[in-house]
Amino acid sequence: MYPFWELPFFTSGIVIALIATFHILPCHLATGAFWFNVYIERKSVKEGRPELMEFIKRYSLMILVFCFVIGSLTGVGIWFAATVASPRAISGLIHNYVWGWATEWVFFLIEIAAIYVYYYTLGRIDSKSHLMLGWLYAWAAWISMVIITGILAFMLSPGKWVETGGFFDGFFNETYWPQLFTRTALMFGIAGVYAVIVASTLEDRKVRDEIVRKAAVWGIAGMAAGALFSVWYLFRIPAPARELGLEGGLPYLRTMLKAAGASYLVVLLWFVLCGLIKPQWSGRATGIVILCILFLGIGAGEGFREGIRRPYIIAQYMYGNQIIGTDLAAKGIKSEVEKYDSQGFLKNLYFRPDKTDLENPGDRLLAGRVIALHQCGNCHALDIHAKMRPLPALLANLSPESPDDIAGFLEALGDYPYMPPFSGNDEDKAAAAEYLFWIVRR
Amino acid sequence: MDLSLFLNNMRDPAGVPFYPFLFQVLMVLTFAMHITMVNLVVGSTFVALLEAARKTDHSLKLAKALGRVITVSLSIAIVLGVAPLLFVQVIYDPFWYTANTMSAFYALMFLVLVTGGFYAAYGFYLGNRNSDASSFSSGWAWLALIFMLLAAVIIHMLSMEQLMPAQWKSWVITPEGSYLTDGGQFHGFSPGRFLHFILSSFAVTGVFMMLYTVYFRKRTDYDPAYLDYVARRGAGIAFAFSVVAAAAGFWWAGEIPAELGFLKNPFFVAGAVGGIALVAYLGMAHLNPEKYAAKAATAMFIVIFTMCAAREGLRMDYAAAAGYSIFDYKVNVDWPSTLLFLATFVMGLCVLCFPAMAAFRAGRAPAGEVVTIDEVHGRRAVTMLIIWFAVVAGLGIVISIKNGTLF
Repeated sequence: MYPFWELPFFTSGIVIALIATFHILPCHLATGAFWFNVYIERKSVKEGRPELMEFIKRYSLMILVFCFVIGSLTGVGIWFAATVASPRAISGLIHNYVWGWATEWVFFLIEIAAIYVYYYTLGRIDSKSHLMLGWLYAWAAWISMVIITGILAFMLSPGKWVETGGFFDGFFNETYWPQLFTRTALMFGIAGVYAVIVASTLEDRKVRDEIVRKAAVWGIAGMAAGALFSVWYLFRIPAPARELGLEGGLPYLRTMLKAAGASYLVVLLWFVLCGLIKPQWSGRATGIVILCILFLGIGAGEGFREGIRRPYIIAQYMYGNQIIGTDLAAKGIKSEVEKYDSQGFLKNLYFRPDKTDLENPGDRLLAGRVIALHQCGNCHALDIHAKMRPLPALLANLSPESPDDIAGFLEALGDYPYMPPFSGNDEDKAAAAEYLFWIVRR
Repeated sequence: MDLSLFLNNMRDPAGVPFYPFLFQVLMVLTFAMHITMVNLVVGSTFVALLEAARKTDHSLKLAKALGRVITVSLSIAIVLGVAPLLFVQVIYDPFWYTANTMSAFYALMFLVLVTGGFYAAYGFYLGNRNSDASSFSSGWAWLALIFMLLAAVIIHMLSMEQLMPAQWKSWVITPEGSYLTDGGQFHGFSPGRFLHFILSSFAVTGVFMMLYTVYFRKRTDYDPAYLDYVARRGAGIAFAFSVVAAAAGFWWAGEIPAELGFLKNPFFVAGAVGGIALVAYLGMAHLNPEKYAAKAATAMFIVIFTMCAAREGLRMDYAAAAGYSIFDYKVNVDWPSTLLFLATFVMGLCVLCFPAMAAFRAGRAPAGEVVTIDEVHGRRAVTMLIIWFAVVAGLGIVISIKNGTLF
């Protein structure tokens, strides 16, 4: 195991969740916006309406300054956050999908070239060639989504990969197509929101209302189609995930799904009311409020998608605590649970204090803390006042009267459908239980 | 558990999907491209500040031009940086992940600083587009420079920590036995290595300014005196800073433990000889910057690439001293995905020709003139992407049907 990074009160996972949610908005905008951009530009060229180009200029600059910059930085940010929070998980993904990410990177190169040249050659090259730059960006950006969706879907439903270890067997899995369709539809919804906000800054009233209406139509179509594809997605998620997320295994997940649905509905209604019926009601202020609602909805939706993967971080392969829980013969991988159960977990750690002799009662608390950090710390904070799944508070609900009670709980961890089993021998378990009992009583 | 066992145990059990040599070559190549752009970002910010301080018409025009260069090249640097970031995690995963988790706070601060630097750079560029000598403001550029230098310090530190695996344990476990989990480790700053990078940035920007002059000389709406000024300044900066960067490079070489025998590494020898030759060439180019600009730029990239290869050689030496070699990585060759990348890479280069051509031709036309480009180039580029998608989607549908994962 790598050294452990502990974020007091919140856990390191919250950093990934926050950056990922921030990433979804700009990156879906980056993938979706140019289809609308090209649509308006094409209209401007075909119908000889240069007044529409004012919108193109503003929309492109906004895409460049906000979504491309923030999208690319938060994209790298997710990587860094995953690196420091779950290094073995990101390593597992990279070692299976390095060529997928490298392929996506080629499309990033095309995107960055296309968007800068598109923006800086507005009115500098002939309109047909300029339009082609727009198409180039739109396709390249969307293809980057086609690629990353395969890796995201793999984390929940690795498909035949668990048997073959093959790149494409894991990539084109049960949830790939519905997730791709959902994200594709949603990107038009997000692009619509931004387009309404930008269009509402135009001085020309007629142009403004026209673009707001068109953006609303795109947004409504995207949100409606996204809702349908989301249902398809929910039908395709694996049975254990369905039990956790939809059938009450973890009730908060259903709440998150409802929150995502509610935000969806609010955005849809806003499109109808302030886009189609009364475009003059649209404006920057309401647009930004809607954007915040969308942000919360995306956070809830992505939180649901992440939550139903439990107890795994890579389904059927690696548990949330970064311990490999399955044999994968095709790649010569052995489950680590058996190894830790027989050899001991602590003994296999390189980064451990010297004073962790489990025979010595004085060292057991320190040893227990190290074990608990690695086994529980990815999802649970070890401080009783923590905000994210505080382990002492959760254990206190069990009213343990001795470390043995907690050891018994640890023994039965694997029976909970959303918890990884405790991986370690009896000495590890006893030390962890002793430490956990101490923090409950502290 | 000893260090060598830890390093080798922490390799990802999935192995690598192709022979490590290919990842290493791609890592060095893409890092060379990335660091060249990073050099341009840092150097341009610095030179823009210098020029802004001179407050002449020519210097302010140059500072504004560099403002745009900073934003664009920072975007490109970030995207180019994704590739080496990916490949280093493939073959040096135990080093990369250990350094980052030990210094998690700084790893995350790096992102905050780059984001801040980016927007400060935009503030400088957009804020000064229409300004004159009296209204020109350098505040945002100073902020951008500070953010970027701090980000550079962090990424330098993360690189250095990876080279010192023997000390990792003592950083995380205190002598009293405490296990430090705050991600606050900051070790291994190498002044020679850091300065070599920073000073090279100015040299790279100087050469860029020489190329800028050549490119815009065709523009009838550009004042020849302004271009003469840029050429002269560029050549002067390139020469002066390549001299001090080379000196810093030797300082860095002196910091490396002698037992690694790095000074005999063929890539280092080639880089050092190439670097000195480049200094001499830039000295000559100073006499007629535009004549030598293209060759100087080519020579500079070759030297940068060689130094990046030497840097990789140094990392291999450090890793070998700790009992780790990338060539011992378990290989599970995955031909389909390898071919997917290689084919996409070639296609990507072809596609990029279109925006590159459009930018090149539009940039050379006088302001207000609309350049006509044969639309067919754009159509071909877009068609390649559509074909790519059709092939992959077709493949996906076939595999999904075969595996029963479609419906």
